[in-house]
Amino acid sequence: MAERNEPVAEGVFALRCQELKKSFQGVMAVTGATFDVPQGMITALIGPNGAGKTTVVNILSGMMKSDSGHMQIGSTDVTNWESHKIARMGLMRTFQLSRELGGLTVLENLLVAPQHQSGESLFNIFFRPGRAKREERENTERALEILNTYGLYDLRDKRSRELSGGQKKLLEIARGVMASPKILLLDEPMAGVNPALIDRIGGYIMDLKAQGMTIVMVEHNLNVVEKICDHVIVLAEGRTLATGRLSDLRANEEVVHAYLGEVINASTTR
Amino acid sequence: MSAFWYYVFTLVFFLFDYFILAMGLNIQYGETGILNFAYIGFVAVGAYITGVTGMPSSAGTGQQYILGWGLPFPINLILGGLTASALALVVALIALRRLRTDYLAVVLISLSLVLYDVINNYVPLFNGADGLYNVPEPLAGFFKLTTNSFVPFFAMLTGVVAVIMWWVMSRITKAPLGRTLRAIRDDDGVAATLGKSVFRYKLTSMLIGSFYAGVGGGLIIQFGGSFNPTAWLPGETFVVFAVILVGGVGNNIGLLVGALLVETLLIHLPAFLPSIPGHPGLIEYIDTMVVGVLLMVMLWFRPQGVVPERIRRSPFTLAKRSGQTLDDRAVVVPVAPVEITTAVGQETTNG
Repeated sequence: MAERNEPVAEGVFALRCQELKKSFQGVMAVTGATFDVPQGMITALIGPNGAGKTTVVNILSGMMKSDSGHMQIGSTDVTNWESHKIARMGLMRTFQLSRELGGLTVLENLLVAPQHQSGESLFNIFFRPGRAKREERENTERALEILNTYGLYDLRDKRSRELSGGQKKLLEIARGVMASPKILLLDEPMAGVNPALIDRIGGYIMDLKAQGMTIVMVEHNLNVVEKICDHVIVLAEGRTLATGRLSDLRANEEVVHAYLGEVINASTTR
Repeated sequence: MSAFWYYVFTLVFFLFDYFILAMGLNIQYGETGILNFAYIGFVAVGAYITGVTGMPSSAGTGQQYILGWGLPFPINLILGGLTASALALVVALIALRRLRTDYLAVVLISLSLVLYDVINNYVPLFNGADGLYNVPEPLAGFFKLTTNSFVPFFAMLTGVVAVIMWWVMSRITKAPLGRTLRAIRDDDGVAATLGKSVFRYKLTSMLIGSFYAGVGGGLIIQFGGSFNPTAWLPGETFVVFAVILVGGVGNNIGLLVGALLVETLLIHLPAFLPSIPGHPGLIEYIDTMVVGVLLMVMLWFRPQGVVPERIRRSPFTLAKRSGQTLDDRAVVVPVAPVEITTAVGQETTNG
C-alpha cells in the first residue's frame, strides 16, 4: 500500500479524464478537464467557486453527460455511461448536500447499496427464497459492522431523514462503502460538520485508503488536503490548472494566483 | 337471501376488489413514486379483456366485441391482468425511460383520455358506449349457483383472490426488491448512483401494479355482469388515489382500511340509502364531495394516512452471530480519527 505523499506511480490510474467539456445553455462550466486519478490513493479536487468541480463530479458519476471528452475507469471507456452502469464499474459517490434516502431507515440505506442482490429479482423472491434470504442475512451483518464502525449503529432503525447533518454525512460515506466500490467520490465530505467530526471523517477516509480504495474528494479545507491527500488536482474556470502534491502546488504561481493565494489571504486577514 | 345480505356482500366485494386495486397503485405510487394518473385505464383494459375472453363469440349476442373465446375462469381473469401489464409495457417503453415524474403524470392523464375516447367511440372493440353485458358469471354453472347465491359466492371468491395477491405483494415489498423501489421513490438519482437501473425497476413496478389493476377490473366485470365507459371515467383514478392516501401509502394494511373507509363506506354504502325526497341522485353527488373533502383533510392533517408506513426493522438485526447477538456488542468506533482541526490552523475558504 502506498504511503501518503509517495510519488504517483506512472501508469497506475483508477480513473482518467481527457478534455471533458460541458456547457449549460451556452455558459461553459467545464472547458477542458484533463486529469488522472492514481489508484489506491486519496486525490483532492480543489479550486475556487465556479471552477466546475461539482459539474466534473456529476459527469464522473454519470449524473450529467459531457459535451465532449473521454472518461475511463481502469481500462474501460465509460464516457457518458448512465449512472447505474458507472456505479457497477465500481465508482460510487456522495453529495455536497446530503441526499439520504429519507423514508428508509439508516440500516436500509446501507442495504440498498450492494449490487446484484438476489432478492431484487422477482424470480428469486418466489423460486429461490433461501438464496435471497441467506444473502440478505450476510448483507445485514456487514451493514451492521459498517454502521458500528461509523458510530451509527444505535441509529440503525431510525428513518434517515431524522438524522442530523453530520450523521447524514457519515451515512452517505457508510452507504458508499457498503457498495464495495473501487473508487469513492466524496463531494465536500467535511462541509458543514464540526471539527471533531472532521477528524473522524479524516480517519475513515484514511482507513478506506488502507483497505485499497481509491478516493477522490472535492475539498475546500486545505488542512484536510494537507493532512490526508496524496495527490491534488486544481480546477479553475472549468479546466485543469495543475496536478501534483499540495506542497509542490504551493510553489506554482498560477495556482497561487487562481486559488491558493485567495485562501491564504483569507486566512491571514481573519 | 334478503336484500340486506345482498347489500352487505356487494360491499364486501368492493372492499376486497378495491384492496386489490389499491395494492396495484400503491406499488407504483407508494413504493416507487410513479404518479400513474391513467390507473383506471389499466383497470378498464383488464375488465374488457376478461369479459371478451370469457364471453362466447359476439355473433347473435346483439353486441360487437373482439375475441369472444369463451375461456373459463380464472384463465380469462389472468389474461385480463396480463393484457393490462402488456399495455403498461408499451407505455413504459415509450414514456417511462425519458420522462420525469411530473411530465410522466401528464402523459398518463392523456393516455387515460385517449383510451377512454377510443373505447367509447370505436364500437367493434368493446361495444362502444353501451359496453359489454351478459358477461357469464364465473363458476356459476359448476357450483349450480342462482342469481342470489352468486353474489356472496363471488364476494368470498374475490376475498380469496385478494388474500393471495396480498401475500404475493407482501413478499415483494418485504424483499430487497421492495426496498430498492422505495429507494427510487425517495431519490431516483441516488438510487442510480448506487448501481440501480431506475428504468428497469420502474418498469417492474408498472408491470406488477398494472397486473393488479387488470385483475381488479376483471373481477368487477364478472361480479356485475356488465361494464361500460361510465364505470371508468378518468376521474375514477383519483378514487383509488384517495383509498391509498387515506388508508396509508406504503402500508398494505392501510390500503385495506382505505378501501373500507373510502370505497365501501363513502362511495358504495350511500348508494344503498333511500334517496332524499325531491332530490334523486343528490346523495351520490354529496358522497363524491365528501371523498374530496376527506382527501384534503387527510393531506393537511395526516398525510401519512390512517395507518402510516411502518419502520421496517431487519429480521436479522438480532440474529445470532458467533454465539453473540450484534445487539450485545458495545458500540465502538474502531477507526482512529486524524488530527486535522487541532494540529493545523484553520485554512479554509467558502464552499
